[in-house]
Amino acid sequence: MMLTEQETKAFTEKILSFVKADDASAGVGSDKLMHLRFAGNNILTSGSRVSRSANVTVWIGGRRGAASTNDLDDASLNDMVERAQKIAATAPVDREYVPTLGKQEYKPTSGYVESTANLSLTDRAKAIGSIISECEKQGVIGAGFHATRVQAGGSTTKNGNFEYERSTNVSLSTTARTSDGSSSGYFLRSHFDTAKLDTKRIANEAIRKAVQGKGARMIDPGIYTVILEPQAVADLMGNLGFMFNARNAEEGRSVLSAPGGKTKLGEKMFDEKVTIYSDPWNAELPGSQSAQGGIPAQRITMVKDGVVENLTYNRFWAKQKGKEPTPGPVNTIFQTSGPTHSIEDMIKSTERGILVGRFWYIRSTDARTASSTGLTRDGVWLIENGKIAYPLSNFRFNQSVTQMLGPGNVLMVGKSERVGGSEGGGSNASLLPALKLKAFNFTSQSEAV
Amino acid sequence: MSFSRREFVKTSAIAFGAAAVLPSWVYEAQAAGAALFDENKEALADAALATAKRLGASSADIRINFYRLEAVNTRERQVLNVSSGQNYGFGVRVLVNGTWGFAASPLVTAAEVQRVTTEAVSIAKANAPYQKKKIELVPTPKVIDKWSTPVERDPFTVPADEKIATLLKINEAALGVAGISFCQSSMAWVNEQKYLATSDGSRIEQYLIRGNPSFSATAVNRASGDFQAVNSLREAQSIGFEYMSKHDWVAEAKTAAEHAVMKLKAPSVAPGKYDLVLHPSHLFLTIHESVGHPTELDRALLWEANYAGTSFLTPDKTGKLQFGSKIVNLVADRTQKLGLATVGWDDEAVPGQEWHIVKDGVFVDWQTTRDTAKLIGRNKSYGCLHADSWGSVPFPRMPNLSLQPAKENVSQDDLIGGVENGILIYGRGSYSIDQQRYNFQFGGQTFWEIKNGKVTGMLRDVAYQSRTTDFWGACDGLGGRSTYEIPGSFNDGKGEPGQSNAVSHGCPVARFRNINVLSTASSANAGQMEDDQ
Repeated sequence: MMLTEQETKAFTEKILSFVKADDASAGVGSDKLMHLRFAGNNILTSGSRVSRSANVTVWIGGRRGAASTNDLDDASLNDMVERAQKIAATAPVDREYVPTLGKQEYKPTSGYVESTANLSLTDRAKAIGSIISECEKQGVIGAGFHATRVQAGGSTTKNGNFEYERSTNVSLSTTARTSDGSSSGYFLRSHFDTAKLDTKRIANEAIRKAVQGKGARMIDPGIYTVILEPQAVADLMGNLGFMFNARNAEEGRSVLSAPGGKTKLGEKMFDEKVTIYSDPWNAELPGSQSAQGGIPAQRITMVKDGVVENLTYNRFWAKQKGKEPTPGPVNTIFQTSGPTHSIEDMIKSTERGILVGRFWYIRSTDARTASSTGLTRDGVWLIENGKIAYPLSNFRFNQSVTQMLGPGNVLMVGKSERVGGSEGGGSNASLLPALKLKAFNFTSQSEAV
Repeated sequence: MSFSRREFVKTSAIAFGAAAVLPSWVYEAQAAGAALFDENKEALADAALATAKRLGASSADIRINFYRLEAVNTRERQVLNVSSGQNYGFGVRVLVNGTWGFAASPLVTAAEVQRVTTEAVSIAKANAPYQKKKIELVPTPKVIDKWSTPVERDPFTVPADEKIATLLKINEAALGVAGISFCQSSMAWVNEQKYLATSDGSRIEQYLIRGNPSFSATAVNRASGDFQAVNSLREAQSIGFEYMSKHDWVAEAKTAAEHAVMKLKAPSVAPGKYDLVLHPSHLFLTIHESVGHPTELDRALLWEANYAGTSFLTPDKTGKLQFGSKIVNLVADRTQKLGLATVGWDDEAVPGQEWHIVKDGVFVDWQTTRDTAKLIGRNKSYGCLHADSWGSVPFPRMPNLSLQPAKENVSQDDLIGGVENGILIYGRGSYSIDQQRYNFQFGGQTFWEIKNGKVTGMLRDVAYQSRTTDFWGACDGLGGRSTYEIPGSFNDGKGEPGQSNAVSHGCPVARFRNINVLSTASSANAGQMEDDQ
């Protein structure tokens, strides 16, 4: 069911053979998802889904139409092309049309591992069975989700470009709750190589947090020094690398817009300990070989030592502005140029502060300042005199991400590790560090566990 | 005469050359109450259910579903995208040794049905040794029937150019307002054609339609680097293309644009306690988050503990907990007209029905499925099982859940008249709530200051924060039937793997006393302070 490079080429060329438009791009994809969900120290649901898809975008006299189907037989593909062409026949001229790419040279990335794609049902059941047993042994109630995903596909343009990629991802998250419901712990990790997914660490960390979180106390909300574990950083700003959109900034509707119709390109908007870049060939976090619009991805730096070094131009906006389209980002990597510190060192150096393991339900409140609200979840601790004093109840925060990374507010940066935002279940990993921040704004308490 | 779906595909290229977009079988099927998208479906279903039984399943069902999606996106005077998608496939769910197994495929053939059913059983059997407590189901009667969303004009028969023209008129109305720089608009239409066969003998066909038009007008002050947007207040509904003419979208776009320009100059709210008057375009999402999710029984049973969270409500609080003031009545209803979660039957053949969740302020009941109902000693399900695709495991999802209006004819002005110092809020804004649904914070689209019973001017940067039972306890006024609307959420996420559900929350305008309001402009500035304590 998964498409090979040869099949991808054959299907996309067949779609283009049905096209009677001036320009076109045809794509096909295949996907296999295997999942197991457990809760209450019990198996909940488990399943498998294979799927395939095809899509086509056509331009007739600059008018655009797009259609898709999940049936790859000739009649369905032909029908899909007809639907797209019918839309293009009646649509207004696409003012943002840029001709599809001619032949490109891609440098492959390495995000596919055969053993991940073929994980056995029995091995997975045993791994989850062990987690449930450990939860029972430790007197906590375990829940979690294991998912393996394989994707393969590509596209061909009428102007002669062809690309094919495949990838794997396996993720496991575990929540442990004490039986009285007074404490909860959570841990999530994912990897493209199942051999590198440490299922025991994931279970043990969730259980440890639940057990150590018993007896949480409430303290007043307010502005505190915080230490954010990598998971909390991922929840808050996992996709930070994707916010540097040039068009939004130049149109005056972004945190990167500056008064007088200018942008913050070249400004020291962040603390000097902040460097953010994208690298498709990072060994721990391989990205796609193709960036926006199908152009070959390259390593690009968005922020270097606190200075905004690049805004991202898509092919249309680059043409409008006389720039080169930006070959990325395809992932987010936050690595400081300065020294890194362990979470233990961060705690030792803190007179009074709060350690946060995870954030939840984060929603934007003001796009002008990149501000959002959300809550802590599954483990918050008060730090006093260089030590963890006691667990805390949860807080709601209201905080600007750019201001919290602003000059002077980033006190210490940890070593980056692969972690994905928990609302995405680990499907969107980044390389992110733990952070110690001078000030972070908690605005109310939450009794939720 | 009916065609199989494959025959439809083969003939549709010819049909596209004619005036009609769709072949005749679709119209015939709609007239019959549901589309017959595969003439072999019954034989395929019988084969799947027989195979499941032979391999040891005590219960099984198969969904053979065909989905269509049409979307149009525009900005200013140009079309960004017009797309037409189709998706067809089947999923088999089996219960073996009290353990669920599921598998799905887009290849709807006899051989693939055999393979997938066998795989679903294999998955259940691999996991069964670790199943500590077996899954059991409450019974539901066998049914053989069809149901379809009542629509006046099927959106899939409307040509793309008419859809585009409708959206560009909205943009033009907004752009005609001085100070407006951008306007984006879109519409999405979904058609689900679902066939369900269960090992209890049920055979159900459904033809569902829903639509989601929306727009956003943005005013930018380039000199100061400020910008403000106002989005459409109307929300998604289970309705046909008649939605585009029954509501005056063009007039609303002009008003929204004027409000976006006003918002640039509006004063920021002073944080403090205010009485709130909440319009249905805003209140529906507060109902969704603070009432809808905590009354999902699977959350109370800790099934969502690893993702969306659990609930502050537990089964022992049923019929006892004072959820809100005595005027608060919240009714779940999967039969409600225009409701996004309205169906004939759910995804395990339980009929759509209506029941109280909160009655006279007291929490009285749950949203249930056949497996969750069993765990609290019930003998029937309320029919809340749903899968968002043929490839998704069906699991508990929210029904339409609506706040009942006052019996008297109370107007919005009547409620405002009783407020000395308050804020009137329209529209869906930023929303966030904790994992047990205690603490929430909601924004909106437009905010209007109320002083001494009158609206005096616009405010901005408003968000209110409260605790669920405190908030509903502070409800002291409801509008009458004339203020009632049925907004809904087109994409409500839950579960692992994540699934989307569409659900509506009818409500009148309502008043809440003494609620904590904060300014989103001034509450997010830690990091610019000189000191942290």
